[in-house]
Amino acid sequence: MPVIAIASPKGGAGKSTTAVILGTQLAHYGAEVTLLDCDPNEALTLWADRAPRPPRISLITKVSESDIIKTIKRHDADGKIVIVDLEGVASRLVSRAISQADLVLTPMRGTTLDATIGARALALVAEEEESLGRKIPHSVVFTMTRAIRSKQHSGIEASLRESGVDVITPPLMERAAFSALFEFGGDLHSIPPQGNMVAAIENADGFAQAVYRRLTGAAE
Amino acid sequence: MTEKKPFAIDVGKLRSREKVASASAVERVDRVAADHGFIAREPAKRRGRLPSPRTGQLHAKVFPDVSDEIAKEATRRGVTQGVVIEEAWKLYKENNPV
Repeated sequence: MPVIAIASPKGGAGKSTTAVILGTQLAHYGAEVTLLDCDPNEALTLWADRAPRPPRISLITKVSESDIIKTIKRHDADGKIVIVDLEGVASRLVSRAISQADLVLTPMRGTTLDATIGARALALVAEEEESLGRKIPHSVVFTMTRAIRSKQHSGIEASLRESGVDVITPPLMERAAFSALFEFGGDLHSIPPQGNMVAAIENADGFAQAVYRRLTGAAE
Repeated sequence: MTEKKPFAIDVGKLRSREKVASASAVERVDRVAADHGFIAREPAKRRGRLPSPRTGQLHAKVFPDVSDEIAKEATRRGVTQGVVIEEAWKLYKENNPV
């Protein structure tokens, strides 16, 4: 089953939020999902401690550099989607996870700083592709975006697209429901209403569907 | 609220591809990563031999009255203090069978 590595050396880019939204939405629609918490801050573990995990989701914590490949291999073979939430630093753990990925997602906010540091993950993916002799599909997803985009965001997105980088639409908007996942645990269907839940679920569904299309090779 | 399911997941379509994870492949990946500043961040394992298990062995210094003398004698003879104590114990046993 596919392995999705969520990688950016930039902290606060939205990696853990992306992992939880993607994992819970894919599980909601029937996929068996294994989340690997490789972040020393253990954001996914904190999320899981808040409430019983939604059906079809399992969580592996404290995955380290020395056992990341073995852990991915073990769960890659048992019929689940594996989502690897990585730490927000440039580490060997990140590069090893990327080497085992079927899709690398790089979340970034629409800021020059996020884009500059996030681009290091994209450069690493390209180098690993060459080193391993296989294609490693990778995409950028903008996070915490607002309805009215800044010129900076639009410029960064245009620049990425011109460089041939796959940018996932829809982006993940800045929504109270998304951050509340870490307050209440569970998924968007179980937490108490936070802001516009219909719009939040629609956004999360659109994103999960876009990722699913990439996993199945049906992306446009 | 009636929930519309926008898509259904066909697990059969979710295919993983073969990925190499041999020692040489991992080494190549590590090398490439290091060139991009993606380096080992975890604390290195402690080098050298592990501490010996505690055996309850006595040391000359637990005898403050004689430790200096034992230490000087051991230094003079070029042996460890333990050798001197072992010899002393042997003499003790000869005179006091235990």
